[in-house]
Amino acid sequence: MSITRRQFLVSLGGTGLLYAFRFTPEASAKTEPFEPIPVDDDLPQCVAELPDVDYMDWIAFSPDGKVSVFTGRTELGQGLKTVITATVTQGLEIPPEKLTIIQGDTDLCPDDGPTVGSCATRVVAWGFWLACEKIRTDLVKRAALLLGIPSEELEFKAGGVGLKGEPHTLISASELGGGKIVKINLDPAATPMEKQYIDLRIPNVNGELIVTGSLKYVGDLHEPGMLYAGWKGPPYHPTLTRLLSAEMDAARALPGVKWVKAVAGRVAAIGERYSDVVKAIDLVKSSWSVPTRSKELRVEEEARAGAVLEEKKEEEGNVDAGLASSNLVLTETYKTQYATHAQIETDTAVATPEDVNGKITVWVSSQYPHLAREVIATYLNKPESEIRVIAMPAGGAFGGKIGNPVTREAAQLAKIAGVPVKLIYSRKDQFQLRGHFKAACIIDLTTGVNADGKMIARKVDVFQDTGEGTKFTYDIPNVLTRVYGAEWIFGRPAMRGTSYVQTCFATESHVDMVAHKVGMDPLEFRRRNAQFPIYVELIDACAEMIRYDNHPLDVDEGIGLAIVHHGGSQFGAVAAKVAVDRASGQIKMKQICAAFDIGTVINRRTATVGIRGGIIWGIGYALSEEVLLNGHSIETEYLSEYRIPRFSDTPPIEITFLNKHNPEGTPRGCGEMPVIPTIGAIANAVYNAIGIRFYSTPITPERVREALGNA
Amino acid sequence: MAKKDVILNVNGVRREAIVELDEPLLWVLRDDFELTGTKFGCGNGVCGACSVLIDGVARRSCRVPVAYVAAGHEIVTIEGIGTVGNLSPIQQAFIDHTAFCCGFCTPGMIITATALLAKNPHPTREEIIEAMDYNLCRCASYPNIIEAIESVVNTSQRRHLK
Repeated sequence: MSITRRQFLVSLGGTGLLYAFRFTPEASAKTEPFEPIPVDDDLPQCVAELPDVDYMDWIAFSPDGKVSVFTGRTELGQGLKTVITATVTQGLEIPPEKLTIIQGDTDLCPDDGPTVGSCATRVVAWGFWLACEKIRTDLVKRAALLLGIPSEELEFKAGGVGLKGEPHTLISASELGGGKIVKINLDPAATPMEKQYIDLRIPNVNGELIVTGSLKYVGDLHEPGMLYAGWKGPPYHPTLTRLLSAEMDAARALPGVKWVKAVAGRVAAIGERYSDVVKAIDLVKSSWSVPTRSKELRVEEEARAGAVLEEKKEEEGNVDAGLASSNLVLTETYKTQYATHAQIETDTAVATPEDVNGKITVWVSSQYPHLAREVIATYLNKPESEIRVIAMPAGGAFGGKIGNPVTREAAQLAKIAGVPVKLIYSRKDQFQLRGHFKAACIIDLTTGVNADGKMIARKVDVFQDTGEGTKFTYDIPNVLTRVYGAEWIFGRPAMRGTSYVQTCFATESHVDMVAHKVGMDPLEFRRRNAQFPIYVELIDACAEMIRYDNHPLDVDEGIGLAIVHHGGSQFGAVAAKVAVDRASGQIKMKQICAAFDIGTVINRRTATVGIRGGIIWGIGYALSEEVLLNGHSIETEYLSEYRIPRFSDTPPIEITFLNKHNPEGTPRGCGEMPVIPTIGAIANAVYNAIGIRFYSTPITPERVREALGNA
Repeated sequence: MAKKDVILNVNGVRREAIVELDEPLLWVLRDDFELTGTKFGCGNGVCGACSVLIDGVARRSCRVPVAYVAAGHEIVTIEGIGTVGNLSPIQQAFIDHTAFCCGFCTPGMIITATALLAKNPHPTREEIIEAMDYNLCRCASYPNIIEAIESVVNTSQRRHLK
């Protein structure tokens, strides 16, 4: 597509109609009241500046009856395009062939934020729904005014307005617009969802393209004259070392290799084929500075030693007094591993050098193309207006494609090469050069319980991540949650479930142990201490599905449960059944039953496949996934060394949706939450099976054998 | 290694490329023939995103040197399984059962499932899991993929019983 946003607006000028809207779930109705008669701006005939419109999603009506939807949010496999199609075609009563959805193109789409935090349904689709409702109302008002017919006699239909009860429209949306931009502030709390949108079961709109291999991901693009590029990275973590020298002659002599040179502190190779690049990189002999001891990739106890208090996440009552007055106090420490996204699509980008107007274009797999544009602008010292970033559908993202450096690297290599370049990260690069890992945490917990089995005090200290998710699960009058940080090479990268994952594993394992200490059934203990009634319903739903009270368990089989609160108001409970093989140490997942309250479920098909995937993701984190570090180096190189779940690791998974906590509320998203409680549920099931508490993830066969004394 | 003219039979079509003989089939398919449905995922034969049929057997094209398949072997890529508007039963079942999220591993999954059903039209669930187990899906759409394959098996079983 060669049209720019400005050109698009100009193409609507005079006859089209553009609705620009802002939807932020965080903005309360008080600060941004819905404006029933929206403020109009003229659609510009010649666009110079469009500052206001830049911040909003758009729905545009063209004179030919077509509707275009623009959003900066991107397709990551979560089904964003599908849910937008469902909402807008129904909301505006148009057939899918009249709808064009333009996503993630910085020249065409507004910067409406990164695609993160399970936002596809919760924010984007919900926003489009509310917008469609407002648009219908607004168009009827405009028609009444223009046609002199009372608005009660009119209704919205098929992309325009007609008389109530009549099949045809009197006037189309673009005719009513007369070249206007209409700005809408959406009040998410005040607008009820119309029944017709609930529980759509529509197939993925990209389905046919996906199953035929015709959906284009960034790696599938080809620009005329394009060359391939790759990196030779260091043997240490890239931030700990610098390139001292490189012997590149042998690589340069290879046929098909265009050039090999030091770029940005590494060695880049450019060739006619990707294989030429791979061979060239193999032949480069590089020497790197040896990192100092103090910069070792620390986990464990060293992290605790250097930690400083960053934040009191939660503080209520008096935790020390609460603990002192408790009948029983339990203190434990839990640890988690480095984990990584391991998307099957490695980081890849295609970039062009400057065209005659100085403009460059970069195609990438990204959760935030507008951020990528900003990064490139800084990196290449170019104005953003001369950079176009187009986010292609991602082959998995999971938090790993926000500001991924491959975008600016490709732009830089294309600039040097003077021709379009496709930069492909090898799998080894993805582990070692990207080095983008979910933080390994240490979590100390102390809980006090009274004689009735009520938790009355809890102290949580989280080292190396942000300790999300301690709130809104249990009703504990005295709580203190502290977050400690240290100089940390990996930072705290986003990965599915963020720090809820580590914290929930620790808290839900700990709650189980507290229950056992006071001699209560862990489910009953949770019921008694739950902060909201919804947890009792979710726990009971899980217990019923898995037949908790009368499940026939074989020797070394066990059932465990965990609950979660995530994000705004997503609630869940997961029950897991495992079988432990004492000889091999293998933990076999036998069954998972899960109950979630995520508000209204919009598309049960997408929700179900996504939630099952999230649960299986949790199985990998609990049992097998771990990035291996040694001194200053990342040792994991092959996907076979980072064991993500497979078909054979997947148990039968049963899911129930409840919508009881706030049934009138908005949909709330579900992409991340299912991961979170699965881990604790599995650890608790293992305890139930063999009576051994694992205080660290992943619970690998080696660790199980060691714990059983048959290492 | 010098480049040679190699002739391949891909999706029933005679194709020609001038490449080194150790060139992985994956890149010839993707970059010379523009058959980009076959994906690069790991380059080490671990993930299965690059699976293609070679003489009816699902193979990892990232680990197959082009010389190995140049002499009359029949290569079928995802583009040869079915096309938009003319899907194979397995492709249709993947849509019907939402057997993907991001879709990146899907071509490899469909290739492996196609090879399985050609060899064993009525596999049990255990046989499906065994045959598919070395194709990785990070979105973990595994339960839906199993359901999709089972639905094709059940349909063909019903047809068989008639």
